[in-house]
Parts: sequence; C-alpha cells; structure tokens
Amino acid sequence: MRIPDEERALAEAARAGDRDAFAGLVRLHQRRAYLVARAIVTVHEDAEDAVQEGFVRAWQAIERFDPNQGFGAWVNRIVANAALDITRRRKVRSTEELSDALQSPFRDPAQDAELKSRLSEALAQLPERARSVIVMHDVEGFTHVEIGEMLGIPGGTARSDLHHARQKLRTLLKDLRG
Amino acid sequence: MADELKFPTNGERPDRDSLDDSLKALIREAYAPPDGDVYWTGLEQRIMARVESEAPGDSSWWSVLAPWGRPALIAATAIFAIAGVVNQQFVDSDEQLAYDSVLESSTPDVVSTSEEIMSVERGADGATISYFLSH
Repeated sequence: MRIPDEERALAEAARAGDRDAFAGLVRLHQRRAYLVARAIVTVHEDAEDAVQEGFVRAWQAIERFDPNQGFGAWVNRIVANAALDITRRRKVRSTEELSDALQSPFRDPAQDAELKSRLSEALAQLPERARSVIVMHDVEGFTHVEIGEMLGIPGGTARSDLHHARQKLRTLLKDLRG
Repeated sequence: MADELKFPTNGERPDRDSLDDSLKALIREAYAPPDGDVYWTGLEQRIMARVESEAPGDSSWWSVLAPWGRPALIAATAIFAIAGVVNQQFVDSDEQLAYDSVLESSTPDVVSTSEEIMSVERGADGATISYFLSH
C-alpha cells in the first residue's frame, strides 16, 4: 500500500507527540471518518461524536500506530468502533426517529420528495449492520474486506450482508421503481 | 492479460447485483457529509481541543499501568506465598501452644501417676536387684 509522503511525515511527527502534525492528519481524514461513522450511526450528531471520540482515541494510542500502514484505514477502524459503541448505547431507536434522522439536515428536500421519503423509510427498516454495509460499499466505495475490518466481521459476511440488504431494499422500493 | 481484465485488482469479485445509480445517488444524498469548510474547520478545532487535554499515548489508566502488570503479578504471587508460609507457621505454633497448654494442664496428674507406677516398678526392680546382689 502506497502511503503519501505528506501523510507518513505527519504520522511520524504525531507519534513523536507533535499535536500540529496530528491536526494535519485530522484535516486529511475527518471527512472520510465522518462518512464511516454516519454509515453506522445514521444520525449526524452521533456521527460527529463518533468522529471526535475516534480521533481522541487515535491520539491516545498514537504510539502504537505503525506508520507503514495507512493512517486513514487505522483511524477509520477506531472511528467505526466509537460509532458502534454509540449504537450499543442507543440500541433502542424507533423507525420513525431513524427515518427523521435520514431526512435531516443535509439533504436537499426539493425534488422527488416521495421517493426520498420512501427511501428513508426503507433504509430505516434494514437491520443496522446491513444499512451500514450498503452505505459503506455502494455509497462510499469501501471494499468488503475494509468494511469487515471496520465492523469487526469477516469480509465474506460483509459481502453476504450487502447482498441481503440490497435484496431487501429493492423489495421495499419495488413499487416505486417500476 | 485476459485474466487480469476478468478479475478486479482490489480483490473484489465483479459486482453483479449493484444498486441502480439513481438509488445510489439518493442514498449518497441522504448520507452526504456537511458541506463547507467552516463546518470541517470547526470539527477539527473541537477534536483538537479535546486532544490538547490529552498526552500522546495517554490511553487509559489501565494501559498506563499495563507495563507494571507482570512485575505486579510476580510480586503479588511472592507476597501471597510468603504470607501463606508465615500464616502456616502461626497456625502451627498456635496449635503447638494449644497442645502444650492442654498437656501442661493434664501432665502433672499423668506424670505423677506414671511416676508412681515407675517408682513402684523401679522399687520392685530395685528390691529384686538388691535381692540378687545381696545373695
């Protein structure tokens, strides 16, 4: 795996205790980390919490980071764990609440309101992990192996979850897509 | 070369049941990250504000103590072993004391009885011996 020189230099400086270098790593990776967290927790505020918590944990463990591996992959796993912790703490969440969350606040509500609404409902009906896998793979482009590493499941399970999630999503949206 | 074209290089198999692009676009929109540098600068600042209060590698108290785990375990084992030996000695000496105290309270009667028997026996023996010696 080719690690950009800038990232390697920042990671090595951060390991030596340089907070500015760590801020550089945050700047480089926070968007991607947010997408990972959002795929897991769904709600924007929770995703933000998971990103913050993940980066703080990464800083606390920076001495154990191997600069020969990508910082992004490493921090994404930590952020995913932080997001999973949040979902465990907030296990009980109603479908209605989830559906509302998906429509807030960074969506453009202008066009095709019915389809968007149905999509939100359909996504909310998917099991938590299936939803995470479908968003991570089909939207963010992570591989099954990467998703498996982030969610703590085998890559084959991620692939299988993805297949079933797509099937279910298609079924739920069948009448809209005809 | 044909094989290289058949199989993607990232180890993923061809994705035949992928969602429609329009559906993907809708999901992407639903999960879109906040737009604008102001938001990301703010998030970075919030993260760094929390990082400022933490030393690097400042995991948790248990990971700070982790290097001391093995020596502490060895020391604790040694302390338990020593404590066990000392305790056993105390128990033994207590038992000995209890035994001695029982013996002390009952010994005089026993000894006096046995001494009486002995003295009688010795007396008899002595008489016998003196009898043989005198004859």
